[in-house]
Amino acid sequence: MATIKIDKVRKCFGNVEVLKEFNQVFEDKEFVTLLGPSGCGKTTMLRMLAGFEKPTSGTITIDDKVVSSDKTFVPPEKRDIGMVFQSYAVWPHMTVFDNIAYPLKIKKMPKEEIKKKVEEIMEVVHLSQYADRIPSQLSGGQQQRVALGRALVAEPNLLLLDEPLSNLDAKLRESMRFEIKAIQRKLGISVVYVTHDQVEAMTMSDKVVVINDGIIQQVGPPMEIYRHPANQFVAAFVGKIDFIKGEAADGRINITGTDQYIDYDGELTGKVVVAIRPESIHLCKEGSKLHGVLDNKTFMGDVNDCYMRLPNGKGVRIIAPPETYDDYEIGEPIGINFDTFHVYEDDGTDAATKIVT
Amino acid sequence: MKKLIAILLSAIMVLGLAACGPTQTGIDTENLEVHEEVTGKVVIYTSMYQDIIEALQVTLDKVFPNCEIEFFQGGTGTIQSKVTGELEGGKLGCDILMVAEPSYALELKEMGLLHAYKSPEAESLAFDYDPEGYWYPVRISNMVLAYNPEKFSKDEVADSLKDFAYNENLKGMISMSNPLTSGTALASAVALSSNYGYEYFDALAKQEVMIESGSVALTKLETGECKEIMILEESVLKKREEEQSKIECIYPTDGTIVCPSPIMTIKDEMSANANSAACEVITDWFLSQVGQSAIVKGWMHSVRSDYPEPPYDAIATKEITANEMPIDWEFCYKNRSEVRTAFEERVKLPEG
Amino acid sequence: MAKSAAVAAPAPKKKFYFDVKWIIISAIILFLVVFEVFPLLYLVYRAFFPEGSFSLEAFARVYTYKLNWTALSNTIITASASMILGVIIAFPLAWLIGRTNLYFKKFFRTLFVMTYMVPPYVGAMAWLRLLNPTVGILNQWLAKIFNLSEMPFNIYSVGGLIWVLTTFYYPYAFITISRAMEKMDPSLEEASKISGASPLKTVATITMPMMMPSIVAAALLVFVSAASCYGIPSIIGAPGNVDTVTTRIIDFVYLGSSEGLSDATTLAVFLMLVANIILYLSTFVVGRKQYITVSGKSTRPNIVDLGKWRIPVTALVIIFAIIVVGIPFATVFATSFTTNMGKSLFEAGNFTTKYWQVVFTRQQILNSAKNSIISASVAATAGIVISCVMAYLLTRTRAKGRHIPDFLITLGSGTPSIVIALGLIMTMNGKFIINIYNTLFIMIVAYMIKYLMMGMRTIVSAMSQIHESLEEAAQISGAGWIKRFKDITIPLIAPSVVAGWFLIFMPCFYELTMSTLLYSTDTKTIGFELYQYQTYHSQQTASAMASAILIFVVLVNWLLNKVTKGKFSI
Repeated sequence: MATIKIDKVRKCFGNVEVLKEFNQVFEDKEFVTLLGPSGCGKTTMLRMLAGFEKPTSGTITIDDKVVSSDKTFVPPEKRDIGMVFQSYAVWPHMTVFDNIAYPLKIKKMPKEEIKKKVEEIMEVVHLSQYADRIPSQLSGGQQQRVALGRALVAEPNLLLLDEPLSNLDAKLRESMRFEIKAIQRKLGISVVYVTHDQVEAMTMSDKVVVINDGIIQQVGPPMEIYRHPANQFVAAFVGKIDFIKGEAADGRINITGTDQYIDYDGELTGKVVVAIRPESIHLCKEGSKLHGVLDNKTFMGDVNDCYMRLPNGKGVRIIAPPETYDDYEIGEPIGINFDTFHVYEDDGTDAATKIVT
Repeated sequence: MKKLIAILLSAIMVLGLAACGPTQTGIDTENLEVHEEVTGKVVIYTSMYQDIIEALQVTLDKVFPNCEIEFFQGGTGTIQSKVTGELEGGKLGCDILMVAEPSYALELKEMGLLHAYKSPEAESLAFDYDPEGYWYPVRISNMVLAYNPEKFSKDEVADSLKDFAYNENLKGMISMSNPLTSGTALASAVALSSNYGYEYFDALAKQEVMIESGSVALTKLETGECKEIMILEESVLKKREEEQSKIECIYPTDGTIVCPSPIMTIKDEMSANANSAACEVITDWFLSQVGQSAIVKGWMHSVRSDYPEPPYDAIATKEITANEMPIDWEFCYKNRSEVRTAFEERVKLPEG
Repeated sequence: MAKSAAVAAPAPKKKFYFDVKWIIISAIILFLVVFEVFPLLYLVYRAFFPEGSFSLEAFARVYTYKLNWTALSNTIITASASMILGVIIAFPLAWLIGRTNLYFKKFFRTLFVMTYMVPPYVGAMAWLRLLNPTVGILNQWLAKIFNLSEMPFNIYSVGGLIWVLTTFYYPYAFITISRAMEKMDPSLEEASKISGASPLKTVATITMPMMMPSIVAAALLVFVSAASCYGIPSIIGAPGNVDTVTTRIIDFVYLGSSEGLSDATTLAVFLMLVANIILYLSTFVVGRKQYITVSGKSTRPNIVDLGKWRIPVTALVIIFAIIVVGIPFATVFATSFTTNMGKSLFEAGNFTTKYWQVVFTRQQILNSAKNSIISASVAATAGIVISCVMAYLLTRTRAKGRHIPDFLITLGSGTPSIVIALGLIMTMNGKFIINIYNTLFIMIVAYMIKYLMMGMRTIVSAMSQIHESLEEAAQISGAGWIKRFKDITIPLIAPSVVAGWFLIFMPCFYELTMSTLLYSTDTKTIGFELYQYQTYHSQQTASAMASAILIFVVLVNWLLNKVTKGKFSI
């Protein structure tokens, strides 16, 4: 059982408020991902869950036990949590076995039992043949698995992962994603996972919490986050997006700087931003919603990636199966069609261009 | 860490075992008069050589089997600063003081720290002592000149203290002790400036005299770095006897500077063990024939008129005192810091 | 960014809660207040209130005296010059030995650290024999080779003083820098090389800046040690009338009058101030530049291939070793067997072992050796425990008040030894309840106050290079404060702990200045004994003692190496 209640948690470093009021409930056995760009406060939140940071105000409850509030504070070593650090934090002076066995030794478990459990875990993280190696003899991925094994060996109900895959190469990262997810399912534990990689968030999570500037932007299952981004930031941060500025009036949106428009039956009026996922755009010669000139096309194998320039100079990115526009040449006038799009009030932030990960 | 400590501990034990090895025997240990009545503990601060003390310690343990006598050895400067520091605390760490020259005794007497005692041995003394019994001379140290006949001939070096400072052939190759730290060196500075004026210090500065301790200076004589040095006779005698050194003393024609080094007892209220009864007996013993023979073995001259033998191959005490450079100890005590400052300024800062 | 913000963040506002760290901090503060602050304050009080009433007379007297000003400037010049030279020598040596494929690396390391293990005044004596302006052995030899009419060097000068101070204090810098050097993440250097930088450029632009905190710490260590050294200036400076603040202070102390004590204290205030201002300025500067270079990611140390430079550079290091270590040590060793120093050791009848016999048979020497081993071991062990705890508190916690002991420890090491000893004598004799006068304990306390910082800085620099997540991983595994420290931190910094222990032990072992004032019959120390023999009795015996100490140190080092299978050595 590991249900986490985060109630009105704030965190300031000096005068800088890095996390504004944070209210969330993470259910038992849920895989929750805190997703956001660097410095958004996600790691700080994770470290408060672990107990390495104390909230400036607010209450954190794990399994109905208050671990952090104005009155009480349970230090990390008393929280029974597993954690994997971004830098692995594998102790260089201990063997793989000793690294993994450490939490059990702290619990003063009998030797034979420790041996049994560590061997089990080493099996799970595929390290059995490396038990006696010291970390400097291991590759990055192996060290990462040592860290994971160590976090899991004491069978915590809650596992915290702080960008655990960011130091690994792409291939390894992909396989580790599946492994972590598989282990979570197998052991039935709750996981809070911090990352700035939206692919990791999409593929592993039951629930994604998108954070920016210390504020929660949207909470929901990956699909909902992707399909129905709550605001411009989420739309831009999760997946690829084209933003086109326009003005909404009389059941349509006039695209700024052009004489084109799209039909719109939503409630917004005045300055708006139309958000379209590049992969939901189809190319066509006639009956198009918007039209312009093909600016660039890149053959990528499974899909083609190209830009259409609108008369106002704005480039619209399109991702589509290659055969659909194999015939078009650069410079040729084309048109596009799309079924789904989102409309946001134009907050003037140009969020899509400002995201730094 | 544990292993390291273990290693060190075993090293200590090895040293401890080695410490049980042989020790030096003292003076004529046969037929000593034993004073069993003397008890308690007595701490002596002294500026005598460590090896002399070790020899003395063996003898004293035999003579005073029931009294624990401890020595603390240090230069006069060290002892004075230790005493000053201890006075801050209101009580001294010693019972007997044996420093280099009498002016410190005069000072301590005036401060009211000393215990008066009329020793029966006093009448045999050849040197002045305190009429009220606050201090007695116990050994004679002489400031002389020394040179190394293996490196330079006697004609090349000065035969008087005056010449030592004015002979240009010696420039850059003479050495003496620091009057700031050594009691006998200070006494010498006082005597020399009284006789020749502060110009004597200017002359020393012009000679580029090196200010350093006796042993360093003696080595410089040996290596030929120095032509001549001003040094205590006992240091030269010790080196001659122990190392068969060829270094020779020159008893200055303008007078040897003779320092009768006093022994004094601290009064009970201020002393470490309030054991003045024992101190009196120990003082008597030091002044006695037997005690003096220990002093002479330590290359110093005896203070007794009935003890004519000089240490090792020195000339007779009488011969030295016949041509002695006079020192007014009262003046020495009163003008100590003035002379020190004058020396410091003229020798160390000649240009200013 | 979140992580770096966390490091700089102040303690969150909270209500009072009980913390074991405060007990430890309070205990350390209490120790330092009683044995350091109080005696020093008492001394300062005495400087201003010599007769119980306020007076600036002593200040006026001391600071208008020209000789004192010369001494002040000599101290600043010699200490700064040895600091700069020391680092200039130590940094390349540390790099060559720690990070390149130089020949005989291990041997060189031991050799250079060995200089640290020899009492500086013994080395001074050797240099004096080698480079004195009339019959200096090396001088004569050089004059002969180059057909000079005059001796090329005069050791009795400010330059001579700087030379000897440098050759005996650069190991402080060498030790500090090489420990940090070995800990550096090699990928940082690799990144520079891949960017096209030559090895030399990499050192200048990456290694050096990364090492800056250690270099500054090392430089300070050299400065403070050189500025508060008494043995070397008293032997080298005295004959040439080159006074330093320390020799002046000792002169004042040896006046034996209370006026002398006031003057000594007053002059000492200057040394205290200079040392502490410099220490604090740089701690402030360095404190803002914390580089975490040991990550939780384990890597193999990389070795720079010197290529065609390997042989010439090795030759250069050998020449340096011969000049700085070989010649003076050989001189000391030869002296210990020479009867007449005016003659060659090989002349008939001039070779003797009697000085060695004296060393191993004279009761007093053996007792002193035992005293020194005991007091230095206790001081080093207690000191290193405090150092570890302090390093932990400083680099890993935001416990309130952790900078107070840090400040006091730094203050202690910046205070001239003689001042510490004076303060202790005046206050620890029962006048103010505590009476440890004439016991070994007063030595131990004095040693700890003076040399604690050497251990602390070594460990702080080691600790600051260990990534915090390594400890956090243990914490999340359920390990409490003390357990984490024991299981993770200590093993990771173990080589530095051993180094730190020796950094405290060795100077305590042959400590001279404080022992001169604090010793009593039963508590004489080997350093004082050695100095006494050196200057008053017999240089040969002193040389034999120094050689014996050296052999002892080599032996301990060898044993340590054997027992720990090469993991630890000095």
